[in-house]
Amino acid sequence: MTHRRFDWPDLLFGGFLIAVAAITFAATWKLASGTAANMGPGYMPRAIALALLGFGLFFAGRGLVRGHAGIPRVLARPILGVGASVAAFALLIETAGLAAASLAAILIAAFASRESRFFEVILFGLFITAAAVLLFVKALALPVSIWPW
Amino acid sequence: MELFDNLLLGLSTALQFNNLVYCLIGVVIGTAIGVLPGIGPIPTVALLLPFTFGLEPASALIMLAGIFYGAQYGGSTTAILVNVPGETSSVVTCLDGHEMAKQGRAGPALAIAAISSFFAGTVATVVIAVLSLPLAALALKFTAVEYFSLLVLGLFAAVILAHGSVAKSLAMVFLGLLIGTVGIDVNSGVSRMTFGIPALADGLDFVPVAMGMFGLAEIIANLERPETRQVVSQKLRDLVPSWTDLKAAFPAMLRGTAIGSALGVLPGGGAALPPFTAYALEKKLARDPSRFGKGAIEGVAAPEAANNAGAQTSFIPLLTLGIPANALMALMIGALMMQGIQPGPQVMTEQPALVWGVIASMWTGNLMLLIINLPLVGLWVSMLKIPYRLLFPAIVLFCCIGTYGISNSVFNVWLMLGCAVVGYFFIKVGVEPAPLLLGLVLGPQLEENFRRAMQLSDGDPSVFFTHPISAVLLAIVAALLLAMLSPAVLRKRKEALAE
Repeated sequence: MTHRRFDWPDLLFGGFLIAVAAITFAATWKLASGTAANMGPGYMPRAIALALLGFGLFFAGRGLVRGHAGIPRVLARPILGVGASVAAFALLIETAGLAAASLAAILIAAFASRESRFFEVILFGLFITAAAVLLFVKALALPVSIWPW
Repeated sequence: MELFDNLLLGLSTALQFNNLVYCLIGVVIGTAIGVLPGIGPIPTVALLLPFTFGLEPASALIMLAGIFYGAQYGGSTTAILVNVPGETSSVVTCLDGHEMAKQGRAGPALAIAAISSFFAGTVATVVIAVLSLPLAALALKFTAVEYFSLLVLGLFAAVILAHGSVAKSLAMVFLGLLIGTVGIDVNSGVSRMTFGIPALADGLDFVPVAMGMFGLAEIIANLERPETRQVVSQKLRDLVPSWTDLKAAFPAMLRGTAIGSALGVLPGGGAALPPFTAYALEKKLARDPSRFGKGAIEGVAAPEAANNAGAQTSFIPLLTLGIPANALMALMIGALMMQGIQPGPQVMTEQPALVWGVIASMWTGNLMLLIINLPLVGLWVSMLKIPYRLLFPAIVLFCCIGTYGISNSVFNVWLMLGCAVVGYFFIKVGVEPAPLLLGLVLGPQLEENFRRAMQLSDGDPSVFFTHPISAVLLAIVAALLLAMLSPAVLRKRKEALAE
């Protein structure tokens, strides 16, 4: 990282907590607080969010003051590959069945690594798909359709 | 003797044929994931949770427990042969174990590691059996007030004793507590923070959260590092250690077991703390400390004994009080709840066969581990030849299927994906995700007990200080927090965790 003026890990984590607290306040503002003796549904979430807000401000403040810590390098390929793989599985599982979803998940996940080899991945994907179908549907009786039809 | 009756009851459960089979499945899977770096026991247990639904509660817990302590065995195999700790608990074993392997003594190192683990596991089983009764009896006197204070103590102690920044870990506990409140409020029937998503009405499932943050986020981070693995290629002969080895290792084994048993009970002390402490102690006690790091057999025996004893005694707070000592025990709580058993002190009296069966199964499991690890060590080592580029897509897929399988819900798969991204963010900013999982699992109980206590006291928070047991528990929390603020302790802790 070039910007080492702040303690980036602290600053980002603090910002994250503040955002979570803000979302919580926004999502629960309609819920009743009640009293301590008879708490409403909004009491606990808001109490916890308040604590998170405190932590968030503390870390963010410390991150602004302390400085000189970068974030380890972020590579786009692993997170995009794994993310797309899970997303493909989620999109395919109910419509196209387990076999297609599994194969797609394996093939797309392989993109996450630079070391993957084309033919090896296809063979391996077919093998694992078959294994997954046998293990989860036949042996463990997971109620899911194997094929799209 | 009540103790013997209980152990006999436990053995009769653990020795049932199907429970033996589930125990074997558990320890084999555990050893496998222990050997393979890049996948730990937490995502594995989370992955298998949905499939334990149809099992009897005892079988389910026996299998899941087997995965946990099996992973400790497997982790030490790779630590010795490859210098890659399969699990955090076996980091210390690398120091002397791998050095022994380089000197051509891989056989004795593996054997001593396995024997120490077995010995510690056996002793820890007895420790659990002895300690469980009085603790459970004490816990039965607890009301909502004491239970709330106990949960607070459990959460705080877990955070303070675990590694990483205390303030950040505390923030993570609160984050976990917050997402634990998502769903329909049991008291008023109003939905909270569900954002209109019906799948959230029952609350956030912790399995997708655990798999996303521990399984997938780890994979993404692993992929950014170049893969380096060098197996010490030598014939594994002379697995039987010599008398001098055994004589040198035995006292270290005893001390390691004692340390592990004691530290394992403490919240947060589950995996990393016992082996580090045991290693440090051996180094201090040794006549010639310079041998350590150069293949001292005590440096293998003590931490191996400690991590196995610790792994097992960390079940004590879970079984007797219903509070988890670490993230993995939190998953065990989840397994109990999926079986319709409310974790807590009453489990001990209401489900004696379950509790004692699980305890006794640890002994049968350790025996199995000794057999599947020593003669079959070559098989496990050959598993290391599976390259990570093939391993990780399979893990990603199994996480997807497992998450989907909990309740055939696509929403859970998306939730896992979201948690993976957040978990990756946590890794990048250097925050441990384990406290979040503890908060998430304990959150509902904490809120329920807090509410009940406040109702009883008419909204007066001083009730937590006027009940004696509760006051003591909270005093310990305060003492721990104050101790953390003192610079001397802070430095000591840093040293202990960095060593």
